[in-house]
Amino acid sequence: MFRSALAFISISLAAGAVRAGDVAPDPSRVAALQMEAGLAKKPNIYLLLDPERRVLEVKSRGAVLDTVPLIGIEVISQQPIMGRHLPSHPPIPAIWTVAQGSFDSERTVEAPTDLKPAPKNDKDYDAGDSPDVGPAATPTPTPEAPTSYRSRLDNGWDLWVTDTLPPQTRWQTLLAAVRDGWRRLRGRGQNHIPAITLAMRDADARRIHHLLRAGMPILVTDEM
Amino acid sequence: MTAETPETPVTVEPRRSRWPLAVGLFFVALLLIACGVAAVLARMGRPFIASPFNATPSVGVVGQNAAQLTRLASEAVKEIQQVEPKGTYIVVDTYRNRLRLIDNGTVIRNAICSSGTGTVLKDPRTGKEWVFDTPMGERIVQRKVRHPVWAKPDWAFIEDGYLPPKDSSERFDNETLGDYAMYIGDGYIIHGTLFQSLLGRSITHGCVRLGDADLEFVYHHVPIGTRVYLY
Repeated sequence: MFRSALAFISISLAAGAVRAGDVAPDPSRVAALQMEAGLAKKPNIYLLLDPERRVLEVKSRGAVLDTVPLIGIEVISQQPIMGRHLPSHPPIPAIWTVAQGSFDSERTVEAPTDLKPAPKNDKDYDAGDSPDVGPAATPTPTPEAPTSYRSRLDNGWDLWVTDTLPPQTRWQTLLAAVRDGWRRLRGRGQNHIPAITLAMRDADARRIHHLLRAGMPILVTDEM
Repeated sequence: MTAETPETPVTVEPRRSRWPLAVGLFFVALLLIACGVAAVLARMGRPFIASPFNATPSVGVVGQNAAQLTRLASEAVKEIQQVEPKGTYIVVDTYRNRLRLIDNGTVIRNAICSSGTGTVLKDPRTGKEWVFDTPMGERIVQRKVRHPVWAKPDWAFIEDGYLPPKDSSERFDNETLGDYAMYIGDGYIIHGTLFQSLLGRSITHGCVRLGDADLEFVYHHVPIGTRVYLY
């Protein structure tokens, strides 16, 4: 209810500001509203990332269904210890779309090896079988979602959701550089593309994991 | 006669051990080598460097004057308001397995439910796959049925290791769905369960299961056409 009220208030405020007419709305705010209106036309879920308020909202049809508070939003890239060249930030407002999410590749597959004829009535069941012929509780436990994972975005960036940001003090960065150098010396180094990193509580990282699947749009804007 | 010079006693200074110096030098050398190696490795390494995300809007609607911007913003706000859920609607959180029934902005029922496992079932004969996801997005209650009968699809047999029967009469089951069912399209249903103790877990094949009391409450408060938001 609180979230619905909040959404109502935010849209009302936006509408009020628009009605007031004395100050022209900011062009970027208008662009963001148009983008959201475009997303709300479709019956899909979309995410709204507001770096200013540090929240990720789960929305559909303009309504906030859930809110995930963020601990931090950072641009994280791999850089040499000297002569850094930080990547330029993607422009906002914008709609990013998940091109490939970790959820898409982590499904459990069940495949019975052979099938026997189905029993015709309850009498045909083996002793110990449940007489319920309906959906059985799945024998496969659902694997727990990870707390740190990357999704590829259609704009060429990665979206990295994590409960722990890489340490950033000078000493820790030096240690990380030595460790990475050692890995590279052994041919095990990994090159990651720059990532917009959303730091959040582990429970929150787990619960949005299934949302970051291919095709999920993320509207990035400030103060909707 | 020779004057004997008194013999000065020769004091032999105890020879200083050079080991501590050698050991010290060894460790200094070791340290220097370690520092050198570390410097080379650090130069090769590419650690993660964070910089704050720039939240300053940098793009926007271009080529519009103030009046046009106001009109465009007003139109966008109206469009959003038109499609926003109103009145009675259902929200299902498939991760926490919670169903909320909302009436005019007030949550009138907060129920524990069960949703899809997200697993994939493969038919060993044909290779056909079923993905047991609860769909995401907006759906509409298309049909409401008391004492629903479930026509078991192929996957329900294959999952249990059985061949799907050719005689369709062997597919009907009037117990599994519970007392009420609300059909939300594409075969997905909000229904009851025989496995009440498993509510709150992701164990279904995509449908949303509710406990008896919650199912009855939702069924009686939800008219056909009610919007259901699943995420």
